Amino acid sequence: MSAAPATGSPRSGGNSRALLLMLLLPGLAALMVTFLLPLIWLLRASFASDTTSAFGGGDVTLESYRAVLFDPFYWQVAWNTLVLGFNVAVPAVVLSYPIALFLTRTTSRFRGVLTALAVAPLLTSSVVRTYGWMVILGDRGVINSGLQALSLTGGPIRLSNNSLGATVALVEILMPYAILAMLSGFGRLNLQLEEAAAMLGANRLKVFTRIILPLSLPGVLTAALLVFVLAISSFVTPRLMGGGRVFVLGTEVFNEATVTLNWPLAAALSVMLLVLFSSIILLYQRALSALET
Amino acid sequence: MADHHVVIDQLVKTYPGAPKPSVDSVSFSLPRGEMLALLGPSGCGKTTILRMIAGLVDPTSGAIRIDGRDVSSIPVHKRNMGMIFQAYALFPHMTVAENISFGLEMRKVGRSEREERVLKALDLVKLTGLGGRKVSQLSGGQQQRAAIARSLVIEPELLLLDEPLSNLDAKLRDEMRDEIRDIQARTGVTAIFVTHDQDEALSMADRLAVMSAGRLEQIGTPREIFDRPQTQFVASFIGAGTFFKGKVVEPGLAMVEGLKPLRFTSHARLGSTVQLLIRPHRLVLATDAGQPNSFTGTVEHVVYRGQTLTLQVRCGDRLLQADLPTHAGVLPEKQSEVTLSVAAEDVTLVGEEAP
Repeated sequence: MSAAPATGSPRSGGNSRALLLMLLLPGLAALMVTFLLPLIWLLRASFASDTTSAFGGGDVTLESYRAVLFDPFYWQVAWNTLVLGFNVAVPAVVLSYPIALFLTRTTSRFRGVLTALAVAPLLTSSVVRTYGWMVILGDRGVINSGLQALSLTGGPIRLSNNSLGATVALVEILMPYAILAMLSGFGRLNLQLEEAAAMLGANRLKVFTRIILPLSLPGVLTAALLVFVLAISSFVTPRLMGGGRVFVLGTEVFNEATVTLNWPLAAALSVMLLVLFSSIILLYQRALSALET
Repeated sequence: MADHHVVIDQLVKTYPGAPKPSVDSVSFSLPRGEMLALLGPSGCGKTTILRMIAGLVDPTSGAIRIDGRDVSSIPVHKRNMGMIFQAYALFPHMTVAENISFGLEMRKVGRSEREERVLKALDLVKLTGLGGRKVSQLSGGQQQRAAIARSLVIEPELLLLDEPLSNLDAKLRDEMRDEIRDIQARTGVTAIFVTHDQDEALSMADRLAVMSAGRLEQIGTPREIFDRPQTQFVASFIGAGTFFKGKVVEPGLAMVEGLKPLRFTSHARLGSTVQLLIRPHRLVLATDAGQPNSFTGTVEHVVYRGQTLTLQVRCGDRLLQADLPTHAGVLPEKQSEVTLSVAAEDVTLVGEEAP
């Protein structure tokens, strides 16, 4: 074993740098083709005058941005998107927190199985799970027929085809991501710190508020960001659960691209979503570094 | 017993599903201000005892009395004991001063008094001026000191230390060993520490409690444990040595198979079978092969250790270990024949079976 690292020792620093670059190359190339190039196309398309071309034909114009920025409807859509993201992120994080905390702290030998179970919903497509929620929340769904059978309500309660349905479904669909993010973000939690706090006179509540909560906050923040970003970029669930009444950026991009067939406008909306993402990630990094210093 | 500060009485811990208890009816007591080492191989139950005293593990039965009061039903956060964890368990999201202050906050001590006591605690462990540091900015030894300050600032009834030196490198270990001893002496706090390292136990503790397989083997001062081990386990766990089984044929004389009779000074009944121990450093080179308590054999192995020379001498079918002081003269070499002897008072009786 001791001989192996010698080939990559600091003595051959130049070589190992070249080697590192070479190792990075395939990944960089793949990212270039699958991410950077499409992004450039998208940017170009958002400035195109020819509305029929997906790759930005015609002159360069600010027409699409003007249409987006001066139409209150799109401001409303952007606001809806942020509200949906917030309404999904908060309950998803609140509901996932105890689960993630339990999975981190348990010493049960079933811990691995339980963790797998918690994230198992990811094995099912979110489309299928959305349909599942439609069955549950629909006007003739499980909940409404149950309530009516018990004569608790006269007619069906509107649980789907609105933003409530979209929110409920998104919370459940995104919870496994929140749990995973928290599990990896709870690295600083450790039973011995809790024991130390207890020995210093902290009761269970104090152990939680003074030790567990502050130490788990970075994980909570990461989970919140992940869920928020996934929620504001979601399309299938708001579309299916919203029944055409929920207007968010994801659904609007789809509408412009496939219904109205205004590709530049769809591209401009996508760029708007991207700007939204970037600002949120920037905010998140600020918050995280504030937490850690 | 009554005037003892800490009394551990018939403490038992059996984990559910375990075939036998991890801690099996252990009793001992400490006068105020004493430092006791719980010593034993890993898995002997010493840490479980410490955690039961701390309140982190519930005993199956038995009592833990502080000043005559049984504390075993008092929850951990009300027990007022200080604990130094093996990995220190300092809170990473707080500064050193905040760590030390934590226990005082939990006791609702006012801010100004808190600040004053934190500064005093920092002085005590020689971390003066480092209160504002983050835990991660401290070295291993400094973290250890911070942990000590944190557990002493609350003026605990009892200080518990779980393998306090195991996370430090050799040089720091010696330094912290003296430091912990010194702080404990200065504060006068009663302390119990757990260790598997006999040097640590012998040099730090007023008394040692040697444990094996959940049971207390022997408790005594370092000298008692080392020079008068009462069981073969204690004798072999602490220090090296060669054991001899013999039959007592007259007072202070045992016949050992294949060797000359061994003289010893402890009392053993005639006709009983005894276990005798000779420590390597008690053997000396002898010139006269005919003198009592001497062994003549061939040197099979020599290790030069600077101050001592460790020999393995083959006498018949057994191997004797001897640590001889090195000196300017000729030292025994491999394959040479030597005669070693031991004084009768240096032959320790560690076990006696009735005839």
